Amino acid sequence: MLDGEAKAKLRHIVGPEWFLDSPEDTATYSYDAFLPEFMPDAVIVPANSQEISQIMSIANEKRFNIIPRGAGTNISGTSVARQGGVIMAFHRMNRILEIDVEDMCAVVQPGVVNADLQKEAAKKGLMYPPDPASMFVSTIGGNVALNAGGPRGAKYGVTRDYLLGLEVVLPTGDIIRTGGKTLKNVTGYDLTRLFCGSEGTLGIITEIIVRLIPQPPAKATLQAVFSDLDDAAKTVSAIVASGIVPTTLELIDRVVLDVIRDYGGAEFASEAEALLLIEVDGEISAVESQGKRIKGFCKQRGAIEVDMATDPEEADKLWQARRTAFGAVASLRPNCIVEDATVPIKNLPAMIRKIVELAEKYELKIGVLAHAGDGNLHPLIMTDLRDKDEMKRVDRALDEMYEAALSMGGTLSGEHGIGIAKDRFITKELSPKAIEVMRGIKRVFDPNNILNPGSFL
Amino acid sequence: MSVDWARIEREFYQCNKCGLCLAACPVGKELLLEKYTPRGKIQLARFCRNGNLEITERLREIFAECLLCGACSVVCPSGVSLTDLFIAMREMLTSSIGLHANMKPAIESVKENYNISNEDNDERDEWAEDLEDLYSKVSHKERAEVVYFIGCVASFFPMVQSIPRNVIRILDSAGVDFAVLGGREWCCGFPLLGAGAPEDMKVVKEHNLEMVRSLGAKSVVFSCPSCYRTWREYYGTDFSLSHVTEFIAELLDKGRLRLGSMDGHTVTYHDPCDLGRHGGVFDAPRKVIQSIPGISLKEMESNRALSTCCGGGGNLEMTDPELSRRLAIKRIEQALATGADTLVTACQQCVRTLKGAARRGKIDLNVVDITDLVARAIK
Repeated sequence: MLDGEAKAKLRHIVGPEWFLDSPEDTATYSYDAFLPEFMPDAVIVPANSQEISQIMSIANEKRFNIIPRGAGTNISGTSVARQGGVIMAFHRMNRILEIDVEDMCAVVQPGVVNADLQKEAAKKGLMYPPDPASMFVSTIGGNVALNAGGPRGAKYGVTRDYLLGLEVVLPTGDIIRTGGKTLKNVTGYDLTRLFCGSEGTLGIITEIIVRLIPQPPAKATLQAVFSDLDDAAKTVSAIVASGIVPTTLELIDRVVLDVIRDYGGAEFASEAEALLLIEVDGEISAVESQGKRIKGFCKQRGAIEVDMATDPEEADKLWQARRTAFGAVASLRPNCIVEDATVPIKNLPAMIRKIVELAEKYELKIGVLAHAGDGNLHPLIMTDLRDKDEMKRVDRALDEMYEAALSMGGTLSGEHGIGIAKDRFITKELSPKAIEVMRGIKRVFDPNNILNPGSFL
Repeated sequence: MSVDWARIEREFYQCNKCGLCLAACPVGKELLLEKYTPRGKIQLARFCRNGNLEITERLREIFAECLLCGACSVVCPSGVSLTDLFIAMREMLTSSIGLHANMKPAIESVKENYNISNEDNDERDEWAEDLEDLYSKVSHKERAEVVYFIGCVASFFPMVQSIPRNVIRILDSAGVDFAVLGGREWCCGFPLLGAGAPEDMKVVKEHNLEMVRSLGAKSVVFSCPSCYRTWREYYGTDFSLSHVTEFIAELLDKGRLRLGSMDGHTVTYHDPCDLGRHGGVFDAPRKVIQSIPGISLKEMESNRALSTCCGGGGNLEMTDPELSRRLAIKRIEQALATGADTLVTACQQCVRTLKGAARRGKIDLNVVDITDLVARAIK
């Protein structure tokens, strides 16, 4: 337990100003961007992996919980002290240690903000593709712990696909390194990827090596409006089947389009039932011809409007609707639950229909944004946490939504993580044996269960 | 005035805790801990309101670490009016446990002397010393179409006293029928709002309105964006109000002012929060700068509604001067990255903060008010 002696030791390790247990500090580390809040016993802000190693040794010996937290932007409740304990924050470990142009990689500390890495990489003509919506705030450490995705995922994949190596402090205080700067590495189990998406349950990530790729020289952006959702879905299938791999293939449904229109975010035809925002990138000649082909696919399948832009300013205008979507939706009611059930691409229209049906059945306001290129849906439930009756209906709708996604061969979560948001559903997707294996892995790393306990396992 | 909690509660229940405000907040990025971020402060306000957090000096200190710059409100996807919430919290804290010690001298001076500088209010015209004829002409008028409201900072702080000197030269050369109030001008009341002591606003407001009325004026022009904002938002007047950049842009449009060339200068423009983000005036100052032949204008990375505060907002210079300087240096670094030789702004407080930090840091960057440029360029 976190007794006076343990507190004194922690204070000594990081210095008194970085061990915090005032009510103002515990109140402001009691949340992330998910709903429930839990007051931690304290907050600690270490400066390096040596300090973290000492902290973990004490926690392991005294059996108090440590919950790592990046910027607290996750929407699965992965960085809250559900069973009490000390929140570990990485504000001071926020340096980009190296951008290695020759080996096309970067070495960063966990507290580096995603967008800052992208900016520095871009100065050297390189790109770090994972681009979660929280990228201006969320940290690479948090992105790795949750295996964050983003709109560019359809072409470029997710955090996991750019992860080369890690330095990790285990719950016992031991420091290990996994992977390295090489693209290929098959020595032993792939521990690097095991930590990726482990939601802070296996170790504290203290250094990260990520792969960078060359900045694509050109980009084309298209926006197509459809009066029938099925036409939009058929267009998605046609693009995917054509061999073109779009960087971005976003779908916005009627509910969200109406909310955006009322919010003053953008204008659409009144009969609009779906909007596709499509981007392709690469060599300029390829981008132009792919853009034209995609325009053709949209028109052939009944798009009522298609716009294409190849210069950044025009492209920016086409992003306007997508960009204002979350704000428009979030402003409508006090709370907005952003879901991320994910299905194989071909089942996207069926899944969207199911969500519309659930919204009617449970009298809820649910809109859909989807990364259509990879089947990752974002049902947006506009609600008010304080309304107990409505929250019960939200829960019932979520139950049925996950059932539907899983029955279509999908998953509970495409990119947000399980955390405390979906832990109660995990047995629906994973078999008892699979869960037992995961618990076994957890025990090997964290024998005393002090690292983010009460999260998904 | 008392805090309208029903309205403020709506604000904090509207917060989704998404954290996007963290990217916009200069204070949060510098002090790192969540309690200093806009999202953290909303949480503290909610805890306080629900009786889960004691009202202490520590809490007052946290809410003092804020520029009231409003950048968080611009990026908030849920449309939370964060600055209103923060001002309300300061008001609640001041009425519960008194003024922040560092704000006391200025606030008490406003109440006693009607200026922030603890000086006799008749000393307001010390900036005009070398302008005797012109000053005596505009300060002794009985009637005028326009009143130029100077503000405390430009009146009393030598570093920025060039601003009123510039403005009266500019207005005079354009043939504007204007007057200044001298010792009859009182603090607009803006510092009272930032200190959470708005109850004394009424006295200064009514006095200032009466002074303008007594001259038969129809318009008031301001070089201080904060005075301008205070009149616009709190004075409830029918006078036509404008910032001097808008006024000059109009004079240029009408051909009443002609500017000569200033070849070879590359400048960048810093949007003052109270003029840009809070006042919606982005184009007029840029237009004024670009109307000077030979000057080239380069934008900083963050500009217009997403501009970064100079570090001098929200009374932070009084409560945490060291942090204020650190934030100013960050803004100066953005200006240097443009390659400009001169940083132009349109606010005496931004000039003081940025110029002061550049001097202390021995940074080779010229910081000027836009009226300095115009006064030099007048033909």
